[in-house]
Amino acid sequence: MRTDDHRDWKLSLGAYALGDLPDDERAAVAAHLEGCEECRAELRSLEGVAALLPLADPARIEQPTVRPPADLGARIEAQIAAESAREGRVKRRRRLRFGFGGAIAAAAVAAVLAIAILPLGSGESSPAQKVDFASLPKGVSIDATLEPHAFGTEIEMYVSGVRSGTLCRVFLRDAKGRTYSAGSFRYRWGEDSHAVLSSALDLSQATEIGVHAGDRTFVAPVDRATALLGGAGIDAT
Amino acid sequence: MGALTRERDVREAYAAHSGELYGFAVRSLGDAGLAEEAVQETFLRAWRAGDRFDPEIGSLRTWLFAILRNVVIDLGRARAARPRVAEGGVEPSVEPLEQALLAWQVEEAMRRIGEDHRKVLLETHFRARPYSEVAEELGVPEGTIKSRVYYGLRALRVALEEMGYED
Repeated sequence: MRTDDHRDWKLSLGAYALGDLPDDERAAVAAHLEGCEECRAELRSLEGVAALLPLADPARIEQPTVRPPADLGARIEAQIAAESAREGRVKRRRRLRFGFGGAIAAAAVAAVLAIAILPLGSGESSPAQKVDFASLPKGVSIDATLEPHAFGTEIEMYVSGVRSGTLCRVFLRDAKGRTYSAGSFRYRWGEDSHAVLSSALDLSQATEIGVHAGDRTFVAPVDRATALLGGAGIDAT
Repeated sequence: MGALTRERDVREAYAAHSGELYGFAVRSLGDAGLAEEAVQETFLRAWRAGDRFDPEIGSLRTWLFAILRNVVIDLGRARAARPRVAEGGVEPSVEPLEQALLAWQVEEAMRRIGEDHRKVLLETHFRARPYSEVAEELGVPEGTIKSRVYYGLRALRVALEEMGYED
């Protein structure tokens, strides 16, 4: 019985917090609150919300939730892709150079700005390529973006789902089956598993990209790659 | 995952938060076209400043809303500079922006709780109708109205907390 009583008091707390109880009931609840720590705590948690209610406009509450147009996400992504194509190379390389220390940074930026003009010109016929690794084991996800440069190919790689600490060695292969190393990185669970690597093989010559991850090797064809900058759409919700 | 620097991060952020950002933009700008513009500009600014986003400091959602708030202020200024005729639809809100954001969150939270709870809170609290009258209209005992007010308020708190509210 005691429990039922208590439950009744508790149910009155909503109306009490909102100031909607008739005076006599209000006085009774106030008297109960004097002696009931549990109800006082519950009341405090309701009062915060009750205090916000006057901000809301009931007419707006009854309007349906609005949704952005279905193609807005794709439009934003296209704009970002275009912007990234214009500035991405310079910006990303600048970040890399800064990583080597501030002293050479300013000179490096100037150099990079000059260098960046070259791949922009020659890169137009083969823009950055996005490669998706298909038929991976469940839970493993790998993708890579390849970008042509005068020195060869820059590879941005994203790996997830393999054991933390796994050594990943990345390579490109040409049509004759020759392998060109692109370096290695270690996958760390919970960290940004996004690595930037480079290989001496020209992107136009590359037919496959592969990763040795621990004792497994995953390979994806480069020639089937979808052009990232062609505006691969996203599913806007 | 750290900064919002890859296109894939932006895509994920868009999938998770565009609905709310757009909802608030419509409420504060009162115009669907301007709201679209605001959301687009928000994600572009987020992308450009992606290096500066630090999840240690605050959630992505909070950061995006902070950007949107600035975009809305900018668009509001631009609009004030060239007055235009209202095109019907939702009235732009006139409260200060912080308050508009909070108000929108409460309204959105109210939309998210169950229909029964929302209805009872709307009728008894917002429209100040007696519990007995609402009980009769809905064909339920008065005690049910009182318990729906209580559980409705609790549900509202949960919905607000999902949107980042803390007291």
